[in-house]
Amino acid sequence: MSNIIQVLILGLALGGVFSLMGAGLSLVFGVMRIVNLAHPSLIIAGAYIAYWPFKLWGVDPLVMLPVATVIMAAIGVLLYKLVFEREAKSAKYSEMTVLLTFAVAMIVEGALGGMFTNTQRVTSPSYATEAIFIGDIFIPTGQLYAGIISIAIISALALFLKYSRFGNAIRATTQNRDAAQLLGVNVNLVGVVSFAIGIGLAGAAGVLVSFVFAFFPAKHWEWIAILMSLVVLGGMGSILGTVLAAFMLSVVAAFVGAYIGATWSTMTFFLALFIILLVRPQGLFGEKPELA
Amino acid sequence: MTDLLTVKNIIAGYGNGPAILDGATMTVEPGKVHCIIGPNGAGKSTLLKAICGMLAIREGEVIYKGETINGLRPDQIMRKGIAFVPQERALFPKMTVRENLRMGGFILEDKTELERRVDEVMERFPILKERRAQLAGTMSGGQQQTLAMARTLIVKPEIVMLDEPSLGLAPKIVKEMFDIMNVMAQEGITVLLVEQNAQMGLKQADWGVVLDLGRTLFEGPAKEVLADPRIQELYLGSNKAA
Ligand SMILES: Nc1ncnc2c1ncn2[C@@H]1O[C@H](COP(=O)(O)OP(=O)(O)O)[C@@H](O)[C@H]1O
Ligand SMILES: [Mg+2]
Repeated sequence: MSNIIQVLILGLALGGVFSLMGAGLSLVFGVMRIVNLAHPSLIIAGAYIAYWPFKLWGVDPLVMLPVATVIMAAIGVLLYKLVFEREAKSAKYSEMTVLLTFAVAMIVEGALGGMFTNTQRVTSPSYATEAIFIGDIFIPTGQLYAGIISIAIISALALFLKYSRFGNAIRATTQNRDAAQLLGVNVNLVGVVSFAIGIGLAGAAGVLVSFVFAFFPAKHWEWIAILMSLVVLGGMGSILGTVLAAFMLSVVAAFVGAYIGATWSTMTFFLALFIILLVRPQGLFGEKPELA
Repeated sequence: MTDLLTVKNIIAGYGNGPAILDGATMTVEPGKVHCIIGPNGAGKSTLLKAICGMLAIREGEVIYKGETINGLRPDQIMRKGIAFVPQERALFPKMTVRENLRMGGFILEDKTELERRVDEVMERFPILKERRAQLAGTMSGGQQQTLAMARTLIVKPEIVMLDEPSLGLAPKIVKEMFDIMNVMAQEGITVLLVEQNAQMGLKQADWGVVLDLGRTLFEGPAKEVLADPRIQELYLGSNKAA
């Protein structure tokens, strides 16, 4: 019994981190209809922003969290201005952005590899190596912190989207771009800001990832499939859906890992992606996908 | 000239495609109801989209209160006082009725004023008040159209453009939509109505515009348009048959 609770808690903590990793991807897709294949590579860039100060000066990764968020958000604005704003005028926008984000992912991976080599890295602040014991159950504090901070950030995002004026403009643009524009929303501005927030979230997720997983520049290939499974299961563009999907799949993956074998754990996400696309492409919570 | 809005020989199309509007012209007088009629595919919806900035105008001019507004973005044109309810109604399906109304007042900076106006509109449309917490996407067609039209009133626009508000609605509900339109007109809002059923549309209007193949064939007082034998033969007759 305690073993089951143990696995459940680990699954939930992981779910929190995956939620944050997927939230930015989902936001960007919702507003701009861009499947940003570069998202996980930008998470890894965020992880390096935490890694070096930790390695060189022993700076706590959590101190770097706001820094990485801001730096990555700025990179998001740059990327948007350089690449996506221009493409938005093209009729083949959707196809082009898939190729473009793929190219961006390769460039980010190459640049990180060139600068920092392909060595596996991890930040190891004291809490990342400790654990809390409750009876027989042990919870690694690193994963616990990462999970809780992720949920806190996502809650803040949800409140912003639900209650602020600009947040409502973002939600409106996601649901009906033309309608938002007809009511006075500058949808280009919504696009840039959402992109910046999305990539900023990638930066924040990267910092948390830095002490939860070992990472290296090419690691993003594994994550893109995991994150896609979350976003698809969550109903393409629904942040709440992505979060719920992250918890569901992470818990399932934790049980698969514990009872079937660690190598099969990641397979859970890939298999889920495949099955959802075949059986229920609109995801758990989404409408039927618009094939426009 | 006291025109509020003048559309002068505009040419416009989708993307790099052919010109759908090919010399469309119309005059809009303040406070009047204008009805644009014409066969399916004539370019009526396209004309409204061009006026509100959703479609780039290649040639010609749209002049609003003496100022050329073509080239502006839809959000900029909306801020000048031109509201548009497209054929698809343009609601936010996963927002509640109340949130949809609030989005209608997005351009208002003052939050208390916004809430006041949302309440005011809900008082006027009891069905919206009753369903304020319901997701817009789950309402019936008539309720959605009511919401879309009521939503424009939050900002008190100068002009409201309605693209086939009767589309797909039962006759009884259609009458309700025209009632809303007439109330708008009584409040001094200038209305541009596109209506498939030309007879019905023109009867409610002061001014009629006949569009075909992207060109204005004729415009004039609605009564004259209704009575014009050419027009009757061309559109009104065929509409009755349909
Ligand atoms: N989004 C679009 N892309 C390309 N062509 C369009 C689009 N919308 C309408 N059209 C074309 O423009 C013409 C006029 O359409 P529309 O303005 O909707 O006519 P109406 O409202 O008078 O029925 C039609 O030939 C239609 O096929
Ligand atoms: Mg039409």
